[in-house]
Amino acid sequence: MPGIDECLLEAMALPGARGAALVDWSSGLALGTIGESPVGDHETTAAETAELARAAAEYESFARAEAGPGDGAVSGGPPVEDLIVTTRSGFHVLRFVETSFDSSVFLHVWLDRADGNLALARLRLRALAEGLVLR
Amino acid sequence: MTVPATAPNAFAAVSPLLTRLAAERATGALLRDRGTLFLEDGRIVHAESPATPGLDVLLTTGGGLAPERWREAVDRAGARRQVARFLVDSGGLAGGELEICHIAAIFDAAFFALSPGSGPSRFRRGATHWIGSVRSVPAAAVERETRRRRELLDAVWPYPLLDTAPVVPRAAAPGQTVTARQRMLLDRADGVRTPADLAWVLGRPAFHTLLDVRRLAAAGLVETPHSPAPPPVEVPLPDWMTQAQSPDVALLRRLRDALEASL
Repeated sequence: MPGIDECLLEAMALPGARGAALVDWSSGLALGTIGESPVGDHETTAAETAELARAAAEYESFARAEAGPGDGAVSGGPPVEDLIVTTRSGFHVLRFVETSFDSSVFLHVWLDRADGNLALARLRLRALAEGLVLR
Repeated sequence: MTVPATAPNAFAAVSPLLTRLAAERATGALLRDRGTLFLEDGRIVHAESPATPGLDVLLTTGGGLAPERWREAVDRAGARRQVARFLVDSGGLAGGELEICHIAAIFDAAFFALSPGSGPSRFRRGATHWIGSVRSVPAAAVERETRRRRELLDAVWPYPLLDTAPVVPRAAAPGQTVTARQRMLLDRADGVRTPADLAWVLGRPAFHTLLDVRRLAAAGLVETPHSPAPPPVEVPLPDWMTQAQSPDVALLRRLRDALEASL
């Protein structure tokens, strides 16, 4: 059962990985960070990526409620799986983490465009997000 | 050991005592009116506040962890101060999940414990918490985050009364969407529950609920309470002002005549 640090370390093993973080999208809190931040400050990056993730997680077009409204039961997890932002110099992959309690966290990895492999990163982050909550 | 805290200042350290304890790598419990921070070698390893749902509430409300398993862990490992480890080792909870929830709980409780006007601080050297070791965070990070959270609340919707007043939902405007998460909160807002009450019912951190309520109020989905206006002083007006009377035509004529005569 890996913890946050092991999970982030594994994310950094991805080719071209420059930085990674586990972020709470509701509050913008960085629960764990590793490597570099695109703006030189992990806390700022966490607050910014959290806004993006919150929009994706909450806008109905992406996050249509599948369970009965307001029944309070934790339904089939977050409807949005991941977000991918490509920039001129890099890739950002955000993967939502599904926990057994009410939470709002995602994994963020920042990859160098030249060395990063988007498809591989997406698959690896999914495995890492699942491993984080594996008993 | 009792150390009076200095007056809170938004630009200075959130808690000078905490800064000092972190610098001297102290171990113990920092007790304040609105919460307690547990330090180990100057790093924060746990925090509790009567204003925030504890780990037990956060973990069990959604059904992810049965309340019996929590109680079993406290019963069997509480004395050894290894409740966290017991929960994970017994398969009740994933290690990552526990860490996520624990860090969220630390920052949540610290936000209230370090709130301005939380009164004098006391430090009980050597005190530890029965949850045991999970993860630790630097005191400076907790202070920074606490300050950021205060600013975030006001940036979203600067009405602090919302934090303590009962949450009163408003009907959505035509075409306005309400997200599933927002709906869960609004459905439980019965006009009596405060954001803190809702945090307990939903099993979410208290700060998250404050923030969600501010966001909902900014979107017009929750009433924004206004500071209670001073009750208007009601001085009854005399009858001659309130009761319509036909103008005294004769008097007005005499007045006009007199004015004309004086020209």
